[in-house]
Amino acid sequence: MKPVSLVVARLVRNDLRRYLVGGLLWLPVSVIPLGSGLLLQQIFDRIGGQRVAGLDQILWLCAAFVGVEVVRGLIMYVANLYGGYWWDAMATLLRANVLRSLLTAPGPAAGRQPHSPGESVARLRDDVSDLVELVDESVPLAGTFLFSGAALAIMATVDPVITLVLVVPMIVVGVLSRLMSEVVRRLHSRARGLGAAVTAYIGETFAGVLAIKTAGAEDAVLERLREHNRERRDAAVKDRLASDLLETSTSATVEISTGLVLLLAAPAMRRGDFTVGDLALFTSYVGWLTALPRIVGRVLFRLPQAAVSTERLTRLMAPHEDAGHLSRNSGVWFHREPLSPPGSVPDHGDPLEVVEARGLSVRHDGSGRGVHGIDLLIRRGSFTVVTGAVGSGKTTLVRALLGLARADEGAVFWNGRLVADPGTFLVPGRAAYASQVPRLFSESLRENLLLGRSGDDADLARALESAAFEEGLAEMADGLDTIVGPRGVRLSGGQAQRATAARALVRMPDLLVVDDLSSALDVETEKLLWDRIAGAARDGRGPATLLVVSHRQAALERADQIVVLDRGRVAGRGTLGDLLENCPEMRRLWHEERVVEAEERSERPARPGG
Amino acid sequence: MTIPTHRATTRSSVLRHLRPGPRGAAALAVSVVATTVLPLLAPPLTGHFVDDAIGGASTRHLVLIAAGYLALALAGQLARMLTAWLASRLAWDGTNRLRETLAGHALGLDMAYHGRRTPGEMIERVDGDVVAVAEFVVAFLLDVVAGVLLLAGVLVIVSAVDPRIGGFLLVYCVLTGYAMARAQRLAVPSAARARAAGAALFGGLEERLAGAEDIRANGAGEHAVYRLYQGSSAWYRANYRSGQIGVGLLAGTWVAFAAGTAIALGLAAWAQRSGAITVGTAVLLFQYTLMVRAPFERLIDQLRQYQAALAGVTRIGDLLAERRTLPAPADPRPLPVTGPLELSLEGVGFAYPDDGEQVLSDVTLSLAPGETLGLVGRTGSGKTSVARLVLRLYDPTEGAVRVGGVDLRDADPSSVRSRICAVTQDVQVFAAGVRDNLTLFRPPPDDSVLRDVLVDVGLGDWLASLPDGLDTVLGGVSGTGVSAGEAQLLALARAFLADPGLVVMDEASSRLDPATERRIERSVDRLLRGRTGVLIAHRLSSLSRVDKIAVIDGGRVVEYGRRENLAADPTSRFARMLDMAGVSR
Repeated sequence: MKPVSLVVARLVRNDLRRYLVGGLLWLPVSVIPLGSGLLLQQIFDRIGGQRVAGLDQILWLCAAFVGVEVVRGLIMYVANLYGGYWWDAMATLLRANVLRSLLTAPGPAAGRQPHSPGESVARLRDDVSDLVELVDESVPLAGTFLFSGAALAIMATVDPVITLVLVVPMIVVGVLSRLMSEVVRRLHSRARGLGAAVTAYIGETFAGVLAIKTAGAEDAVLERLREHNRERRDAAVKDRLASDLLETSTSATVEISTGLVLLLAAPAMRRGDFTVGDLALFTSYVGWLTALPRIVGRVLFRLPQAAVSTERLTRLMAPHEDAGHLSRNSGVWFHREPLSPPGSVPDHGDPLEVVEARGLSVRHDGSGRGVHGIDLLIRRGSFTVVTGAVGSGKTTLVRALLGLARADEGAVFWNGRLVADPGTFLVPGRAAYASQVPRLFSESLRENLLLGRSGDDADLARALESAAFEEGLAEMADGLDTIVGPRGVRLSGGQAQRATAARALVRMPDLLVVDDLSSALDVETEKLLWDRIAGAARDGRGPATLLVVSHRQAALERADQIVVLDRGRVAGRGTLGDLLENCPEMRRLWHEERVVEAEERSERPARPGG
Repeated sequence: MTIPTHRATTRSSVLRHLRPGPRGAAALAVSVVATTVLPLLAPPLTGHFVDDAIGGASTRHLVLIAAGYLALALAGQLARMLTAWLASRLAWDGTNRLRETLAGHALGLDMAYHGRRTPGEMIERVDGDVVAVAEFVVAFLLDVVAGVLLLAGVLVIVSAVDPRIGGFLLVYCVLTGYAMARAQRLAVPSAARARAAGAALFGGLEERLAGAEDIRANGAGEHAVYRLYQGSSAWYRANYRSGQIGVGLLAGTWVAFAAGTAIALGLAAWAQRSGAITVGTAVLLFQYTLMVRAPFERLIDQLRQYQAALAGVTRIGDLLAERRTLPAPADPRPLPVTGPLELSLEGVGFAYPDDGEQVLSDVTLSLAPGETLGLVGRTGSGKTSVARLVLRLYDPTEGAVRVGGVDLRDADPSSVRSRICAVTQDVQVFAAGVRDNLTLFRPPPDDSVLRDVLVDVGLGDWLASLPDGLDTVLGGVSGTGVSAGEAQLLALARAFLADPGLVVMDEASSRLDPATERRIERSVDRLLRGRTGVLIAHRLSSLSRVDKIAVIDGGRVVEYGRRENLAADPTSRFARMLDMAGVSR
């Protein structure tokens, strides 16, 4: 089965009852207009005198006309609210399956996501809704087919020739909207692209406003904006025109069909074979019939799109997963609380004695960066520092060890045993990680630290103290309940780094891995942090084994083992004393660091020398 | 009373930018009228057709009427498309004008304004608000103006045919319109809540995808999925509640229109029975009743857009009301046209206009033409403020800044821009060609000049590696990426092209790889050769290359002198710094 067919079938089967009941509820909404048309026919035949009847009979028919619409409205209301569950549930199912795979499936997640998280979200939002929409469309498609078949049959009993002729404009609309939809899509994406270009240009202009103003380039910059604007206008107008054309072709079909009915029915009407009521019936049905080519066109348009969506979503999943994993029934919890994952990690029963990387290589695509054949051995209770110049591969090494980046060669061993998938093995309680670019979520500080773990405020306070964050916490109005992250209180870079360090600490891992903190922490604070973490390690309140990326003196002086990287290779390894003696790269880095730290201290005349 | 008047004036001044030219306006008016009138002409033809068919007119006559109907229908659709085309073109022209005015106005504002705003905020002000207004203007012309005209036309014609049915239709329209507008307002809060729940769901998802590695490595993946379930559930419930009102409203609309149609039909039947109208007229009335529906639905839809557009117009007005704070000189004097410029700060004090806190006091510094000064001091000490005053991004609150002997407050702004150049550490690379990135979109000099400058700053190999040379598009989604070091060198190349007499430079504080750092140092040396320079230093090594050093602390110059003298004096702060770093003096 093709992947898209599998997903479509699963979306139907995963909640078959709701799909079928919802579909059956919806069908009358499409079919009931048959009755409205027949009522109109009866009313006009009585007005036109084809049938002899009293005024009261006409008024009853008019009341019936309203009654039919009331029934249709009620059914639509119920069907819509009932069907909403199925729609949202299936969308949630797909999204949860993708997210779970991205965040928990074996194998590194790096490289599976497109270059911006915004784009991943767009896939989870739009590709998912495209797929669900396609399946959802099957119901009105069936309804419209039913209506059209019945309507054409009824019309054929009145006048088969006119009925046959009326099929022609329907086919024309169908073909036209099929042809146009590709053009409309292209024009639309071009207009959107040029709109984004204008937005980006305005953003760049104001990001670089200082350079522009000091260079006096305001007029030239505005002239370019004018050019961007003109291009965008032309594209936007074309886009609008094309989608209008598509819309117009439908309403024009109704008008043309009505005109055709008049044209063709003229002789029959003069003869009295085609009544005023028949005219009303035909014009009423013609309006509804245009829905058929449109919906068929839409489904045909959505089919290839759905295949692309399936493919794009599957690419977000792990390499060993397919469309089956994407669409499996993993449950939906709209009416009751979802099952919460266990708050504490089960004891893994294999406490760290030694963790080792052998011959680890990561080749970044062609750029020459990356790491090559790195051996690393970390014993319980040791403090290991990875250091090196900018671009020497420190972060890459750590990410490869933790299985966050794919290692092209080499392997990781835990207590001498090969680790099959470091990405799912080196997690709490074995290892925890504070990355270089700290990520906090728009939630309370407590939630950001715990992320689902159980832990009381005392645990959190301990972790925050180890991470030298207690001052930051004291400044917060709502303490641990303060909402932080992009949509909450903006923490400074240093605060965010210490908060993510606390997040790793609270998980009490055997091995704590901390990437470079120096970009946002000053020398003093970083020193305090290492003092605190080492202190906690000594008296068993914190992780005993540390792997740290740093070039700061405070970390290097404390290290049991330093690994010096230079352009992705080990340039030296040992204690600071050994390395300063026999590793030129270490000497160079150490000297540079002394200059930088001296300057930073000199900028704080209040505490000369620290 | 003053506030509404003020609002009304900003509103009208904003809308003035959107007004099309007289020819455009006339074309649009004609096309809108055609869009309205042509569909109104069709039902009488159907009426005639029915009456004449019943009356036994010739087939030829009936066919002619039918053909006329067809022609009218087609012409009506064409007119509608023409209006749509004209309206969107004129609206885009108008809103583009507004966008350009806003961007120009904002660019003209001082750094005091820009310092407080992020580029994202400016995008919202200059583009986001305008888009909301643009969409409304197009829709207004098409749906509101054309819709109201059509409704009025239907009411007039129906009243002419039968005043009683016309009267009923009028009452019906007013009542339905009122009810729909009220119900619409009822639906707004729950719809907004549903949108907010969706935004929260996808916003949270985006944050978690961006932090995927933090989550994985800390074993919080299942918890993130759990939060997705919670967010989706909240979203579903909000959708359900919003659906209860929204779908109910839709069903209500269906029934209301069915009722209107039925009552009109009943009245027509009654009138026909009483001999007041013919069968054809009854058909005609029925068709007019059906015509009411579409413009009605569109009008109601626009009510929602109106609020958003109004908020946009108000914000646009606020931006246009912002004024420059730096006064233009009454009698502008040009700076010396060639050669390095002398710089002197005399007893300069400064406070930022928004908080009034004194950031500089009694700063006195002087540089002879061609001399370079290194500004040293911790973050927040005031060295950046000194640089801003030298660039005349602000005026001092006390004392004076003189360049080439001219007080900057009296200097011709265009000569300040052309003779004083800033090199900042955050370099904005535009999603544009290399050429535009070098000249900031101004008319470029010869390609050979540009190439030479790039080679001079050490970007020769980089240029050679670009697929389209100087035409290569940089940055953006599809452009060639530029590394931090390359961006720094590009900024230096911009400065070389400007050929200024005074360079104010903020050294990059972030670390680059050693090879790039050396390239940048070499280029800075070349740039400062034969030019007066003020260098905000973040590295001790850069200070070996300046003539004078000023150590700033708490907004005051605490140490100032020639570099060699300070280095020789073991009690100076500068010497202590060198000692601490183990650098030989």
